[in-house]
Amino acid sequence: MGLPLFSAHSDPGPSFWHFADTSGLTSAPNATPSDFAHATTVIAVRYQGGVVMVADRQATGNFIASRDVRKIEPADKFTALAIAGSAARAIELLKITQLSFEHYEKMTGSTLSLEGKANYLSPIIQRNNLSSPLIVVPLLAGWDESNLIGRIFEYDGAGGCYERFDFATIGSGSPFAEGTLRLGFRSDLDREAALELGALALYEAGDNDPSTGGPDFVRNIFPMMVTLNEAGFQELSGDEVGERFRVINERRTQSGGVAGGALR
Amino acid sequence: MSNYFYVAPEQLIKDRAEFAQKGIARGRSLVAAIYDKGVILVAENPSASLNKVSEIYDRIAFAGAGKYNEFDRLREAGIRWADSTGFTYSREDVDGRALANYYAQHLGDMFTEGQKPLEVEILVAQLGNKLRPTKLYRVAYEGTISDEPRFAVLGGDSETIKTRFALSEESVQPLNVTLRNALNALAGPERTIPAVELEVGILEDRGHRRTFSRLSDDQVSELLG
Repeated sequence: MGLPLFSAHSDPGPSFWHFADTSGLTSAPNATPSDFAHATTVIAVRYQGGVVMVADRQATGNFIASRDVRKIEPADKFTALAIAGSAARAIELLKITQLSFEHYEKMTGSTLSLEGKANYLSPIIQRNNLSSPLIVVPLLAGWDESNLIGRIFEYDGAGGCYERFDFATIGSGSPFAEGTLRLGFRSDLDREAALELGALALYEAGDNDPSTGGPDFVRNIFPMMVTLNEAGFQELSGDEVGERFRVINERRTQSGGVAGGALR
Repeated sequence: MSNYFYVAPEQLIKDRAEFAQKGIARGRSLVAAIYDKGVILVAENPSASLNKVSEIYDRIAFAGAGKYNEFDRLREAGIRWADSTGFTYSREDVDGRALANYYAQHLGDMFTEGQKPLEVEILVAQLGNKLRPTKLYRVAYEGTISDEPRFAVLGGDSETIKTRFALSEESVQPLNVTLRNALNALAGPERTIPAVELEVGILEDRGHRRTFSRLSDDQVSELLG
């Protein structure tokens, strides 16, 4: 590719997606529905001072394709993007998103607002999902530097973007995670309580949804846990996450395998 | 029969070169230099928002002298080129030399075929790693590309500034010394430039993927002591 110069009226501006589109870097989706979509559970919970995100690590097709997939990635320092749906499309969306936020920053010398980042994804998801059987549904959460709060944005299949003020879930394990979150959520959660609730909700999803991987004590592979706050995107260490799930597991054994009492 | 005035190619080139040089000389100059841990770009720039120095990629920075709108468009094209190359292949495949060559080709084309030559001089700085060396590529208005060994000066009066800088800095120095020498070279013996009128960017490894950072007025003042 030569030097991409544009005249003032055809300039794609600071949007990498628009530039990639005009220069043919991204192609319109054209695939068959037989490509596998990975089933998932990703959870985002808002707390006082930020957002906690938890995701399982399993990629499922007709069989378990991978046990250590990362479904949450930093989109930039203060934003995380989680993905559910077709792995190929989701990874491309992630790549485009990360690049776009950085591209905007370099082109304009300023960072996008969190709401700007959330809205930016809408047309990209819309075009993918309305023209391809390979559906991708992301979840965006971040620390809003102008308002100093954590915020969560979820999307529907057609690209509609909705802000959630409590919690949000995506993936096939959503109903089970959602049930736990509905019972356990309070608006005054602190970081620790949000991490505990998020882990429990993921545990429930892993327990009931065949396509969601719970904690894997055999291989020491545990769900991803991430916090977004004024310090930016931070991932909890494998050991710390493992410890949290060990505690939940122990409690569950003591209660004879039933969930009752877990949400004390 | 139409009027056709013959202009010798030598004359045409000379006129175009003079035109471009005049335009570039109107702007203020900048110095780019390699210091012990990276690359520093120091521009005299009274504006805090219209940048002359900026980030192109993880290990590549850009500096422009001359007409702002012209070099800023080249800056944007450079970012697009780098981001799309990294997207298509891999981040490590984005090479400053390749970008400098594209700039040289474009400036060369504009010089010979354009309505008017671009009144700019640009610099592509690359911070080295295992794959590539640390380099300063200077691209002149007519597309001449040069690989400057330790430092480069862009803009009007560049020869004088070059001599001053070369005299004060004979070998690679730490950041604060190089910054001081660059400032003195830009200002000359009769003038002082306040820290707020300096735009300073550096490429340095600090454990992050992106190595470019802008130094604030406070950081610049502190380094100058």
